[in-house]
Formats: sequence, C-alpha cells, structure tokens
Amino acid sequence: MTSLDSVFAAYIIGWAVFFVFYLTVAKRTSTLREELDRLKNSLNRGK
Amino acid sequence: MSLLSNTGALLGKELRTEFRSRELLTTTIVFILIVIVLFSFTFDPTSDESRRFAPGLLWLAFLFASSLMLQPCFLREQHNDTLSALRLSVSDPFAIFLAKLAANTLFLLLTELLLLPLFAVMYNVPVVPVLHWLVLVFFLASFGISIAGTSLSAISAQARMRELLLPLLMLPLLTPILVASTEVTKSLFDRAPFVQWKGIGFLAVFDVVFLTALWLFGEYLLEE
Amino acid sequence: MWKRAMTGAIVLFLVGAAAYASFFIAPEEKTMHVLQRIFYFHAAAAWAGMTAFSVCFVANLLYVWRRSEKWDSLGVSSAEVGLAFITVVLITGPIWAKPAWGIYWTWDARLTSTFVLWLLYISYLLLRTLIEEPDRRALLSALFGIFSFIDVPIVFGAIRWWRTQHPAPVIMGGPGSGLEPTMRKVFFFSVLALHALMVFLIAERYRLEKLRTDVEVLRREAEAI
Repeated sequence: MTSLDSVFAAYIIGWAVFFVFYLTVAKRTSTLREELDRLKNSLNRGK
Repeated sequence: MSLLSNTGALLGKELRTEFRSRELLTTTIVFILIVIVLFSFTFDPTSDESRRFAPGLLWLAFLFASSLMLQPCFLREQHNDTLSALRLSVSDPFAIFLAKLAANTLFLLLTELLLLPLFAVMYNVPVVPVLHWLVLVFFLASFGISIAGTSLSAISAQARMRELLLPLLMLPLLTPILVASTEVTKSLFDRAPFVQWKGIGFLAVFDVVFLTALWLFGEYLLEE
Repeated sequence: MWKRAMTGAIVLFLVGAAAYASFFIAPEEKTMHVLQRIFYFHAAAAWAGMTAFSVCFVANLLYVWRRSEKWDSLGVSSAEVGLAFITVVLITGPIWAKPAWGIYWTWDARLTSTFVLWLLYISYLLLRTLIEEPDRRALLSALFGIFSFIDVPIVFGAIRWWRTQHPAPVIMGGPGSGLEPTMRKVFFFSVLALHALMVFLIAERYRLEKLRTDVEVLRREAEAI
C-alpha cells in the first residue's frame, strides 16, 4: 500500500464507522417510532 | 469513632462467616494452583525465562482468582436478604464497605502468602531475600484489588449474568494494578534485586484514589 | 425536522471542509509526507472522543446528584458516541502506524490506554443491558462510569511509565514540540468539525433514548390495562 492509499483508507473507514453508527441510530429510532404508534393505537382502542 | 467500631464489628462477622466454612479460601487456593500448573505449559520455566514471565503470571493468576473470590461478597447478602438489615444497623454505609474490603484484602493476602513458597519452588525464583518487600507489594496490590472489586461486586450483584459481569467490569479497571505490581515484582526477582519505589508509590496512589471514590459514592451503590 | 436536517447539513459541510483542508491546505510534512495527513483526522477524532467521555462523566455525576432521567439519557448517548469516535481512532491508528512504524500495533502507552478506555466503556454499555429496572440501571451504570473515568488517567500513567513508542504530544507538549502555523489552523479546524459531528450524533442518540423511555412508559400502561 502506498502512503496515499493508507491516507484514503483511513479517512474512508473512519467516515464509514460514523455513517454506520448514524444508520443504526436512525434504524433504532424508526423501529421505536413504529412501536410507539402501535402502542398508542392499541391504548386508544382500549379506552 | 462509630465508623471504626461499626467496621470492626462487621469485619468480625465477615471473618466468622468465612472461617466457619473456609469455602472461599480453599476454592481460591485450588484455582490459583491450577493456573500455576497450566501456565508452566505455555513457556519453558527455566530460571531465566521464569524471571521474565513469572511476575506477570503470578499477578494474572491473582487477578483472575480475585475476580472469582469477590463474587459472593454482596451476592451472599442478597441471597439471605441481609443487606437491608445491614444498612439499618450502621449509621454510615461506608462501614459496610470498609469491613468487606478489609476482609477481602485479608483473604487475598492469605492466599497469596500461602501460595508464594510453592510458586517460588516450582518456578525457581528466589523470594526469601526480598520477602518483606514482596509482602508490601502484595498488601498494596491486594488492597487496591479489594477496593475496586468490592465496589464493583456491589454493582454486579444487582445485574443479570453477574458471575460473568464482575470480571468484565473489574479486570479492565484493574490494569494499573496489574502493570505496577508486575513491574515491581519483576525488579524484586531480578538477578540484582532492587526496590522500585515509584511502582510502590503508584500502587499506594491507586489505593488512595479509589478509596476516596468509594467513600464519596459508596452509599449510592447500596441504595434500595 | 427541517432544523435537524439543516444541522446535519452544516455538520456534513464542516467535516467535508476539514477533510479538504487537511488534504489541500495543510503543507506537506517533512518526514512522513502525505501520510501525515491522517493526523488531522486521527488526533481530532481522539480529542472529540475524549470530550464525549468527559460529557458522559459529567452526566453520570449529575445523575447521581440530581436523579433526573435526562442525565441518564445523556450519559448513555455520549458514551456510545465516544465509543464510535475511539473506534475510529483505534482503526485509523494502525493504518497510519503500518507505513510509518512498520507495524500495525505496538503495546505502547497511548495505544494500550486507549484500548483499555474502549474496553471500559464497552463494559459500561454492557452493564446497562444487564439491569432491567430503569432507576437502578441508571444509578449503577452512572457509578461505574464515574469509576471508569477516574481510572483513565491512572491507566495512562501506569502504561506510560513502564513502556512507550507513540510520538510525544505535539499540541501543548511543552517547548520544542509544536505544529507549523498552517498545520495548527487546519488541525484545530478538524477538531472543531469533529466536535460538531460529535454533538450532532449525541443529539440524535439522545432523541432515540427519549423515545425509548416514552415507549417503556406506554408499554407499562398497555400492560396495566
């Protein structure tokens, strides 16, 4: 690997880690949001 | 003053519980024995090799053993539901910790001293000329292990998977103890033994820092 | 929604600009040439990660003191984000070390203590998954977080005393160390950009934690019916 490749690899992998982390947060948020809606609906029906 | 007398009374209780059955001491000693034997297969325990590897091996064995030994520290109270009674009986919950960590230090020191002759013979390291220094290192390190270990066993006792959790919480936190005591022991096992004062000071600093942290935050660990 | 997207865009722009600056504005370093450009990312990520853990420590203290749920949420959010940053540091480090030192990893003070730090916060997050009751989880993990944070300088001191290879600090490392002025500017801009990213990620993670507590409350309500 040349030096330049190493630099690119470092930046790309680094950004990938942040991006994946952001994606997992977004994914967990959307599942929770769905569950929140579902719970709200079932609670409303129960009333 | 009541802190000291409370601690004394609780320490008596801890020691009576243990010496009635001696369960903790025997299992720990056997565990360290097994580790010492198994480690001998991982390198060639000639005199020179031993000088290099034995101190690390010794402290790794003690560290793993203590992560098992500290397990029942708060678990036992929980099983018998005696923790709330204990909390009510003393004015300062720090006394509970002091008693437990004094007992744990004592148990650890006892196992270490019992196993030292055997270790010295099997790994061919000269311990007699530096014995008093070794005892000092053993004491400071065991005290540090007990302070961190006792506080963390109060945490792990309240979680799931507690048997696995305690080593996971404890071992990374105790890296400084492992590094410092291994290095000091290494210089004591040297061909020309010398005392690494900075290492001994370092162990003392670790003990003081974590004892202060426990004193400040200990009561929250026992909250119902 | 619009505000969040705007913040995200600004953060993205800052991080992109920092990358541009470290490739095209910063001058070439004498011994490591182009390789040194990893520094702006690697070291800035380390700073941002440490800031995130400091935020976690403060949040832990505030939780123990005030017992408000928001401090617990902030604690877990900043711990997770800090972990992401330190993961980046631990990955970019070896990529840099291999061509510079000829090896990926060495058990030197900063590498080892960063690794121990990473393990400590993994344990912190693990501990949280193993306690069911929310109040107890918050309190005990806050206490463990406090102990871990206190341990970090001691770990660093221990390993630094007895073994070492990582270059001495170039920023605030005493006389003789120091960066060329343009490099310095680019570096601090990178630090700023990655801090912005860190704050953004913590905010996003914090929203998630809030949502989770809402769901937990509703679930309990639903079970009660």
